[in-house]
Amino acid sequence: MKFITLISFILFIAASAFIIHEEQLLPHLIQPEVPKGWPKPNNIFATNPLTEEGFQLGRKLFYDERLSKDGNFSCASCHQQFAAFATYDHDFSHGFNNQFTTRNAPSLQNLAWVPLYHWDGGVNHIEVQPLSPLTAPNEMAENIDSVLQKLRKDAVYKKMFKNAFGTELINSQRMLKALAQFTGSLVSANSKYDRFKNGQEKFNPSELHGYEVFKAKCATCHNEPLFTDNTFRNNGLPLNSFIKDFGRMRISNESKDSLKFRVPSLRNVGVTQPYMHDGRFYSLGQVIEHYRTGIQQSPTLDSSLREGIAFTKLEKYDLIIFLNTLTDTTFLKNKKYSAPDGNTPLVLSH
Amino acid sequence: MMKHNLKIFSGIYFLFTFLIVLSNTALSQQKGINLKVIFENKVKSDSIILYDSIYTNPFGEKYSINKFRYYISNVRLVNNQGVFTKNTASFLIDEADPQSKEINLKVPMGHYKRLYFLLGVDSSKNVSGAQDGALDPTKDMFWTWNTGYVMAKLEGISTSSSLVNNKYEYHIGGFEGKYNVLKEISFDLPEADDLKPINQLTILITADVNEWWNAVHEIKIIQHAAINSPGALALAMSDNYSKMFRIKKIIIN
Ligand code: HEC
Ligand code: HEC
Repeated sequence: MKFITLISFILFIAASAFIIHEEQLLPHLIQPEVPKGWPKPNNIFATNPLTEEGFQLGRKLFYDERLSKDGNFSCASCHQQFAAFATYDHDFSHGFNNQFTTRNAPSLQNLAWVPLYHWDGGVNHIEVQPLSPLTAPNEMAENIDSVLQKLRKDAVYKKMFKNAFGTELINSQRMLKALAQFTGSLVSANSKYDRFKNGQEKFNPSELHGYEVFKAKCATCHNEPLFTDNTFRNNGLPLNSFIKDFGRMRISNESKDSLKFRVPSLRNVGVTQPYMHDGRFYSLGQVIEHYRTGIQQSPTLDSSLREGIAFTKLEKYDLIIFLNTLTDTTFLKNKKYSAPDGNTPLVLSH
Repeated sequence: MMKHNLKIFSGIYFLFTFLIVLSNTALSQQKGINLKVIFENKVKSDSIILYDSIYTNPFGEKYSINKFRYYISNVRLVNNQGVFTKNTASFLIDEADPQSKEINLKVPMGHYKRLYFLLGVDSSKNVSGAQDGALDPTKDMFWTWNTGYVMAKLEGISTSSSLVNNKYEYHIGGFEGKYNVLKEISFDLPEADDLKPINQLTILITADVNEWWNAVHEIKIIQHAAINSPGALALAMSDNYSKMFRIKKIIIN
């Protein structure tokens, strides 16, 4: 009996040493951020536990130009932080992939509250979204494989994949999950509007009036607190005759979806110009003019826009003032989301 | 006191180790059979030679085959008590890769009456993010602009096609609503009643490419040389290709 006790004791010590050792290697879980008063987000991290190490890996990948075929484009070259991760001042972003010169790059924020990604809702999960910019349609694989080849040769990546996922294996699934940990963590909820709602700051009379105008004329589609209801609608833009983009219809194959696009969030709208799926408007003034006088009648036009939306000069002016309260400068400048410093060794200690 | 605790603790630990070892051996000794499903791709009775052979479809159109791939998922067997064995894995059958044409699964002993499988990738795997293995998006069977797997793919050259370089290209997918192309295929296992599988059950299935053109709906290359997105045409094509399988042989040993 003594002997058995001794053996099991040795086993126990060995095993606990092993467990402790393992524990040191386990990535550190982070709680996804859910701002006060917001609806429940989609569980985008259900099969991809959000961790500090996974997030940092995703961040590095997001800013890495080697993800493109020719080494010139990173995700961040089209998704710029100071523009809420939209492409600032370009109707169509430049890129290696013609597919994406046909749409305006949207902001990346609060993506856990978005049920279907892209202007036409063609992408159903945040993890598979990057496949779209990284490859051309129907020509999968060659690019992803060569991206993975590049990453596998890099000792820093090897270490980061190991820290995030337990082993040095670098495959598409892990790369995509890491990117999703970064993009899915981009939460913007600290604009002046938010602080006003939380009672931390006051609106001036112009902002208050603009808010009233907004609630009366825009909130049916751009509803609070996310400033979108995430539905697909035709807001009366005439068909762009160059790119001939019919939006949701391409995905659903249904004529009732012709010219319908996902209602975009208006958070940070003050810094994400140009606007609309093709970037046709360069100012909020032009956008409001569209709703006032530019609505194009068509069978799929949203019924609430048949008559256009009437504005007095003052209403228009104050509405723009209000829309600018949606800019969240802490988000635009948050160091956590900016390019990692390439020269510092991996900061993964806690 | 301290010493006593340790004794109990390590005793429990020992018991655990013992149990784990025991259950592992039990598992590995559990009686099971190897199920092997072999797919043999053909055009009628001709074997497929990628790129180089010219075949004739039921409309007299000539074609060659450069790529021929399809997913097989959720292979199930039902026994004479109506009990299914479950397996949710997906396999990519790729004419270019001989090893891919053989599926090996371990199933419990039983008198099996029917074989079922899904032709395509289970809809749940089309909506739950990045997958790996046979479902890795780098396998060239995944749509990036309209999320979802290409369930079956046939590509080649045909003089009846007016596309660039006479290419024809069928990428068939769609897992939702009325354009869902997923097909459950099933076969009776004829000698089931006197099956007494001991080690291995091998089912040899042929897939005839010529069923793609007219098994249910007529789809001519001259009219439709490319099908590249979910929709009515893709659905029609899937109705056709779902008829391509035949059981050629069942081997028990
Ligand atoms: C060449 C410019 C370009 C590059 C590079 C690029 N994107 Fe995008 N991104 C776009 C455009 C344009 C869209 C909108 C696509 C559409 O709606 O069809 C978009 C959409 C998105 C969306 C969906 C947002 C939403 O609300 O629907 C996400 C997430 C995203 N990109 C992340 C990334 C990641 C991660 C990378 C790097 C792997 C990346 N992008 C690289 C231009 C780019
Ligand atoms: C009927 C629903 C609806 C109403 C009402 C509506 N919008 Fe929109 N809005 C949309 C849709 C849909 C889009 C995207 C259209 C596209 O790109 O094709 C959009 C796009 C926008 C954009 C572009 C955002 C970007 O990032 O590109 C702005 C700005 C905007 N709307 C502001 C407003 C304002 C201000 C009001 C109130 C005056 C308003 N909208 C009322 C549906 C609506």
